[in-house]
This record gives sequence, structure tokens and C-alpha cells, in this order.
Amino acid sequence: MGRAEGPEPGGGRFERAVLPHLSAGFTLAMYLTGNKADAEDAVQEAILRAVRYFSTLRDEDARAWFLTIVRRVCFTAYRTERPQGTDMVSIDVVGPQLVDHREQPDMVAERLQVQQRVRDAVDQLPPLLREAIVLRELQSCSYAEVAAITEVPIGTVMSRLSRARARLAGLLHDVVDFGDVA
Amino acid sequence: MRERVDLGKAMREALPVYEAPASLQAWAREEARKLDQESPPQGEQVARPLRSRVWRLSQWRIAAGLVIAAAAGWGAGVLRPVGSTTSPTSRTTSELVDAHVRSLLPGHLLDVESTDRHTVKPWFAGKTDIAPVVVDLSDKGFPLLGGRLDYLGNRPVAALIYQRQQHVINLLLWPAPHDAEGGEHTVVRHGYTLLHWTTSGMTYWAISNLNMPELRLFAHLVQQHAALTPSP
Repeated sequence: MGRAEGPEPGGGRFERAVLPHLSAGFTLAMYLTGNKADAEDAVQEAILRAVRYFSTLRDEDARAWFLTIVRRVCFTAYRTERPQGTDMVSIDVVGPQLVDHREQPDMVAERLQVQQRVRDAVDQLPPLLREAIVLRELQSCSYAEVAAITEVPIGTVMSRLSRARARLAGLLHDVVDFGDVA
Repeated sequence: MRERVDLGKAMREALPVYEAPASLQAWAREEARKLDQESPPQGEQVARPLRSRVWRLSQWRIAAGLVIAAAAGWGAGVLRPVGSTTSPTSRTTSELVDAHVRSLLPGHLLDVESTDRHTVKPWFAGKTDIAPVVVDLSDKGFPLLGGRLDYLGNRPVAALIYQRQQHVINLLLWPAPHDAEGGEHTVVRHGYTLLHWTTSGMTYWAISNLNMPELRLFAHLVQQHAALTPSP
């Protein structure tokens, strides 16, 4: 996803630094909490915290900083309720489903079916693996950013990503190319 | 057979990227502008304008009341550790009065200062399993000051703080035992009025130095509005 969605340039320092990442924060919260109401509450709380602690943000990447706050809010709020995360996210919102109308109907059906399988597979990942792969593949974060946001060493990120890929490969190897993981 | 795509592409095709709802964006922009208008930027001060105003209004009155209450409370045993012979009800009442008095100590009243129930309610989500129904009673003369997390009877409780003229009202609530549903009962202790009821799986205690009719009015308004507000 683009990193510069959101408000036009202008506004104050906080507005320019943090608000462009509101939707990235909301997306992360959706994947961590699994529903819109909790995600909205979490992002709202994250903004309040960001406002309060903004003076502590120096030269770091504001996006990673804000996503770290969103993640902390999500985990402190929802960890106790959903320790295993097996029922945590049901990705019930339909994906982008870019349908090319020149495709044959059976090709469209197959594409939608594949998308559903990818959603189900990601859905089944344990939360820590899921957030790593979502940040990396969906939000295009670097390894260093994933490490900063999830507050673990980069080696742990690599290990989580590799475990996530291995699990996904087990479920999706016939439709997704995993390179040498599968 | 469809060509296999790499994982990133497959995920980006299948998984939605969300846009923050417009209302949330508007609210966040508002908060950002409030902060950015402060010069130099000092988040701590911006986040806490209400506390200073409330304290300027009432700190002397509260401080004076506190000294008297503490003296009276100590003399009467209200603020002493409660022994095992005390009945659960009076023990609870003592703890509640204690919590109320403690909340009036400088800096103890509010953890989240906001007159906006949409700010106060989600604040609790990060701290406790209690999702209090926060009602707006400002047009009835009971403005919301904010919320606080308290600890009572070995469990966290949510405290919503309202004001009636110069009187502070602590509304403490926590999940009730199953099937508990109870009408009001009232207690007066050393100048504090306590009012208790249980509804929709929540135990409520309102505590203030307001007179009983006014506190009862407050309780009825809370009950009315809570009944009309959808649960989370």
C-alpha cells in the first residue's frame, strides 16, 4: 500500500507526521482485533497516546512509531480475551477481488476461490506469525520496520516470517509460488 | 490451471487493506490540530487541560472537605482497614467511600480527561475487561469529566466521573455476578451519599457529597440513558 495516503501536505507537525498513517494503523488493527468496532477504538486510543507522547518522537520513522502504538493498544486490550488467536480474526470483509472482465467465467471463479483460500490460510496463522506476514507482505514493511513495530529482534522477525511462509506453503502450495520454502 | 503467483501478490490480491473511517479521520485531524496549535508542542499539557481547570475551580473546597472527611473517617473507622467481622455490605461501603475520598486527592481524580463519551469509553478498552456504558448527561446538569481505573475488592473497576456544580460524583462499576439484578439501595456515610443498583450484568455505585434527591436523579438519568444506549 502507498505510504502517503491521507491528508494533503500542510497542517502542523503531528498532522503531517502521523495522520498519513491512520489507514495503515486501522488496517493493522483490523487484522489484530478482527472487527471494525474494536479496530476503531484501538486506533482512537492509539491517536490519544500518540498525541500525548508525540514530543518523544525524534528522528524515527513516524509510521513504524505509530504502528507500534496501535499494536500495543491492540495487544493490551485484546490479548487476555483471545490468547491463542484461533478465533481472533475472521477476515470477513471481501478483498479487493480485482476481476478482469475479459477473463472467462470459470477463471474468475477460480481466482475468487484462490483468494478465499489465501484469506482462510492467513486467518489460521497464530497472531504473531500473522501480524509479521501482514506487515511484511501487505503493508510492505522492511524487516527492520517489522522488528521495530513488533518490538522483537530482527532475527525473531525472520524466524516468524519463515514459519508463517512454511505454514502458508503447506496450505497453498498448489496455487501460490513459495520459491524454495515449499 | 492458473499460473502460480508469489505470496506477496497473492496476499495483496486476497486481503483487504482498509481505509480508516471518515469519522475517525476527522476526529484524528481535530486532535492533531489541537496539538499542533500548541507552541511549543507539549503533548502532556494538551492532553490535560480539563484537570487544571477543574482543580482551579475546586481545589480549596475539596482540600478542606478532605481534611474534615479524613478526620471524621478515621475517627469513625471508615477509613481504617476493615476487619473480618464487618459485613460484606458495610465493607464494600467503606471501600467505596475510601475510593471516593482517594479520588479527590490532587492528581487522583482522572486518568482520562474528556467530556466526550466517545473518548472515555474506548479508553477503558486498553486497561480492563470492563466496557462501561458512558452516557452524556451534560444537558441535564451532570457534565462528564472523564474516567479512571480504580481497584476495589481485589478487582479493577471502572470509574466515571461526573460533576454537579462543585460536587464530584464517582460512578464506579464492574461486572456483577450472574443473574444479579437489583433495585437501588442507598447508604449515607459521614456526609457521603452512596447509591447502588445492578443492571444488565453490571454493578453500579454512585458516590458523592451531593444530597440524596440529586444523586437519585443522577442515578435515574444514568439508568435511563444506559437502557437506551446499545451495549458494545
